[in-house]
Amino acid sequence: MTRCIRVLSVTLPLALGLVQPRTAAAQSAREVMEESQKRGQAASQHYEGLLQVVDARGKISDKRWIFDRLGSHGRSRAVLTFMEPPEVRGVALLVVNHPDRASDQWMWTPAIQRERRIALQDRSTRFFGTDFSFEDLEERDTEQYDFRAIADETIDGAACWKIEAKPRAGKSSQYTLSYVWVRKDNYAFQLVENYAKGALARRLRYSRIENVQGIWAGRVLEMTDVRRNSRTVLTLDKLQYNLPMKEERFTLQALRRQ
Amino acid sequence: MHRRRVAFVLIAAALLPAAAAGQTVSHRGFLEVRGVGYPQTTASDSTRLVGEALVRHEVTAKPAPWLRLEGHADLRGDTHGQTDWGGPALSDRSTKRPALSIRRLDAMLAKGPVSLDLGKQFVRWGKTDILNPTDRFAPRDYLAVVDSEILAVTGGRLTVGLQSNALDLVAARFTPSRMPLVENRWSGITGGPAGTAFADGGAAHPARAQLGARWNHVGSGFECSLSAFRGNTHLPVFAAGTPALPGGTAFPPAGPPPAGALVGPAPIRVARAFPEMWMLGADAAVPLSPATIKGEAAFFGSGDARAGEYWLYVIQLERQRGEWVFVGGYAGEAVTRPRAGGAFAPDRGLAKAFLGRASYTIDAARSAAFEGAVRQTGDGAWLRFEYSQASGRHLRLTIRATIIGGAAGDFLGRYARNSHVTVGVRYSY
Repeated sequence: MTRCIRVLSVTLPLALGLVQPRTAAAQSAREVMEESQKRGQAASQHYEGLLQVVDARGKISDKRWIFDRLGSHGRSRAVLTFMEPPEVRGVALLVVNHPDRASDQWMWTPAIQRERRIALQDRSTRFFGTDFSFEDLEERDTEQYDFRAIADETIDGAACWKIEAKPRAGKSSQYTLSYVWVRKDNYAFQLVENYAKGALARRLRYSRIENVQGIWAGRVLEMTDVRRNSRTVLTLDKLQYNLPMKEERFTLQALRRQ
Repeated sequence: MHRRRVAFVLIAAALLPAAAAGQTVSHRGFLEVRGVGYPQTTASDSTRLVGEALVRHEVTAKPAPWLRLEGHADLRGDTHGQTDWGGPALSDRSTKRPALSIRRLDAMLAKGPVSLDLGKQFVRWGKTDILNPTDRFAPRDYLAVVDSEILAVTGGRLTVGLQSNALDLVAARFTPSRMPLVENRWSGITGGPAGTAFADGGAAHPARAQLGARWNHVGSGFECSLSAFRGNTHLPVFAAGTPALPGGTAFPPAGPPPAGALVGPAPIRVARAFPEMWMLGADAAVPLSPATIKGEAAFFGSGDARAGEYWLYVIQLERQRGEWVFVGGYAGEAVTRPRAGGAFAPDRGLAKAFLGRASYTIDAARSAAFEGAVRQTGDGAWLRFEYSQASGRHLRLTIRATIIGGAAGDFLGRYARNSHVTVGVRYSY
């Protein structure tokens, strides 16, 4: 759960840029990814999320939440508070990320007035029944992957570098490899395809890529679970970076005070 | 009593203008209708179908960054005589559920690492699931024993500290757990002379404050707490002259009727008492890669022979696997001084048992869960299957099948004829 929050917060739409397009040869795949990560860095992040799950029969269910994050890239704390549907309003998730180990997560459930530490051994678990897994929502630190430039391609009208990312030895992942399309004009992610055991498992498409306070970010993220034939659309509203936030808001005590 | 009412009126008065101003005020609630079907009758109750309705409305107001006001109200009714149709209730000391009750009404003042919560509020301690020995400020409504609900306590709570270390100090007025009605199928009375009737014999509620302290530490890769409590047990023991009920000796008691008890047309009165007790406890959680380990243990001491002295402990493992969440563990009990007389003690009734829960998220709208407890002796078992499905943004259907079995002398086994199916529809807003 925690990890997913990270994704939702930081990593998703990374990158910014006013950089002259360069070729993959001129800039290595790792340099592209590190530049993308660097440009997406912010001291804090806030947004209101709308999550729409479209199942194989076309049925749509909505969830809304407010997301706040303090810090970035493995040294962050985040609180995600559900606002809709009404039955989960007030349910909150506290995520404390660590650079060297799995994050700690607690869930506050108003109905039982209790915070509960969440066990998260399996990062392939779907986030609240959506098509995002917890791993999909993680911040992906470039140090955890090996990269290889594959080709230059155009996706949705944007010139991109296609880069292969493989988890390094010792870094567990449900995916054996991923292909990432990084826009040449601003280093934002345009598309990610995740493969498991040689087969495409999930596809994440970014759209409405906008510059928010100097950070290029996709405002709409569509995750398709190829195996389940379902998709989830996450829209980031009221996205803001570098807002002043107090550390005391990101504690177990603060969950109860909400 | 007068001062307490004044305090509540002040909190309520503060809620209203904040709500009227429309500033940082939020509302939520639900309407729930449930039907419960019991295939079997019991010695004291021939009802097979029970209908229940509950409307719960919750208001939260934040008139200032340092102040949060919270008020919850319940309006309920049922077809099985479990509702007290008297006036609005605040104290939660009635044997039946009040038709209209203030479930919660409190004000929280917070500044930096310090918060002070005053009023009727929920205080939850402990880390394990299903059974929490250290959760001493959480009396429950046990009218339907296996479907209990937490009750709030009235008092003050001071919390000092942030994430790594936090100290929690609580002083509260005594609130008893609500035990099953003696004439109801959940009384657990499995036998007795034909025509024997039972009636509530009243309760002696302690006047002294219930005091507790808890220190919680979140470390690198682990979390632990120490807690202490001095007050009274919120689970009743039965006063002298009252036949024993679940958790105590079997009914009817061996030998002649108890002194003062009238057998025949006059009902036997079941009177409740709440002996003083103290508790020292600890709980911990350690997340590891194969599973998260959670544990909780407490020692309960008392100068009152009716309460006895004993240890309760729970150890559980929790693991997520795909869309499954598995929780399994053991709840144990070690008695150092047996209690004298009978008691209604579901906490100890669930001890010496293996506990488990497996839940599966089918999709964003549907889930299923299976949970249960099996006594290590095999004398009692409680198993439940639950399926839940949301429809649209507001409606949720929940179907539960609960199977209870075992020997009449076992806490769970006493309710062997109370296996049931529940169908509930909730409209949340």
